[in-house]
Amino acid sequence: MPLGTLDRRPPPFFHQGPSALTRVALFSAVALFLMAADTRFAVTRPLRSGLQMLLLPLERALAVPLQMTHAGGEYVSGLHAAQAELGKAELALTAQSAKAARVDTLVAENTRLRALVDLKPALAVKAMAAEVLYEASDPFSRKIFIDRGASQGVVPGAPVIDESGVLGQVTRVYPLSSEVTLLIDKEAAIPVLNTRTHQRSAAFGADGSAMELRFMAGNADVKVGDVLQTSGVDGIYPPGLDVAKVVKVDPRADSSFARIALAPTASADGVRHVLVLEPMAMQLPARPAPEPEPAKDKKPAKGGKK
Amino acid sequence: MIMPRGADQLLLPVNPLFLWFSLFLALVLNMLPVGRVAAMPDFLALVLVFWNVHQPRRVGIGAAFVFGLLMDVHQGAVLGQHAEAYTLLSFLAITMHRRLLWFGVAEQALQILPVFIVAHAVSLVVRLLSSGSFPGWTMLLAPVFEALLWPVISWLLLAPQRRAPDRDANRPL
Repeated sequence: MPLGTLDRRPPPFFHQGPSALTRVALFSAVALFLMAADTRFAVTRPLRSGLQMLLLPLERALAVPLQMTHAGGEYVSGLHAAQAELGKAELALTAQSAKAARVDTLVAENTRLRALVDLKPALAVKAMAAEVLYEASDPFSRKIFIDRGASQGVVPGAPVIDESGVLGQVTRVYPLSSEVTLLIDKEAAIPVLNTRTHQRSAAFGADGSAMELRFMAGNADVKVGDVLQTSGVDGIYPPGLDVAKVVKVDPRADSSFARIALAPTASADGVRHVLVLEPMAMQLPARPAPEPEPAKDKKPAKGGKK
Repeated sequence: MIMPRGADQLLLPVNPLFLWFSLFLALVLNMLPVGRVAAMPDFLALVLVFWNVHQPRRVGIGAAFVFGLLMDVHQGAVLGQHAEAYTLLSFLAITMHRRLLWFGVAEQALQILPVFIVAHAVSLVVRLLSSGSFPGWTMLLAPVFEALLWPVISWLLLAPQRRAPDRDANRPL
């Protein structure tokens, strides 16, 4: 029997290290601490950024075969699909051209009018194109990762849109990538404006690629088919971006609030390119610093021993 | 030498390079951008448990914790969710590794199923506490798939150790 056949090193007799129970207690404690620190404080941010940087090359490499299959599929499906797309695009362009021609005059007129009544000029929003790296496979949340990060100027809270409407919001920024929480995530919320009634409300993510309009009275004026747009009151989303459409209104007799289901305008599945906008708050003038509170008298020492 | 009844032959010592490469490959498999499927088996958990059972002195709870952290960062989950799940997974696997190897592969799969269920339950509890979202009932299938993959992974990852100690023309492998 050759030498390498068996592991001939004697098992360590004394040097076994801490027992499995000790180790599991230690690592569980560390994990619990990390969970608390991650949700409550910002101390884990450097650790997360470091690990993300470590994983980034791998993530980029893994995105390549996906893009290749996509490109290959496009190549095979070929000319007819491309021509059909082109036809559709031309139709859309014709439909929009009249509008587009009027926009310039309207913008000029608007600026003049605003100058006349001494309003501040409307804000122009800076945008940055980004590519989707991957969608998080985490079944508990709806997040995508994009290939632009802090070094390209992405800031936490920046709105992310695609060609049809608002997609979500940047929640974590790493040096070279960032995490976008989609509007259909359970934790996402967005202030919206009903374009028909001009009523403001807040939309929240719901289970199963849908959203809901919460805290609307049972008799609120919301109809199926209403279009909801960003209201612009939050200082993050620019006003007038499509968010969702009302698909179901259930007045619910047993509760004072109606259950209103929404279908998001931008589909999160299969999105490849997105636009990262600058949060509106960055262009608004800074808030005035709060006035320093008048110094209070020193509180009497509590519980002095006697 | 006492050989476990389930083992049909004396195995070669494991190649540490192969061991860590298989773990890395499992991590890559988990990171493949295939979309969100709640019933998707966690390949990394599977390979971690496998090496915890077969090589508990090389792959321990610490390795499981670190791989868990990597998965957390990749998925953008709460930092520590996968780390906690994998830590418990690894602990349970290490505590049962001496008993497990006395059984055949099918019985092993049956006994390892509760371990995977516990790991998924930990993830679920953490997410319910932190955000309150529920991914749907299909997630119950994930541990079942992982247990069903146990025989496959056993065959695959033990294959290098099943090679003949001295190869010759008649037995190339």
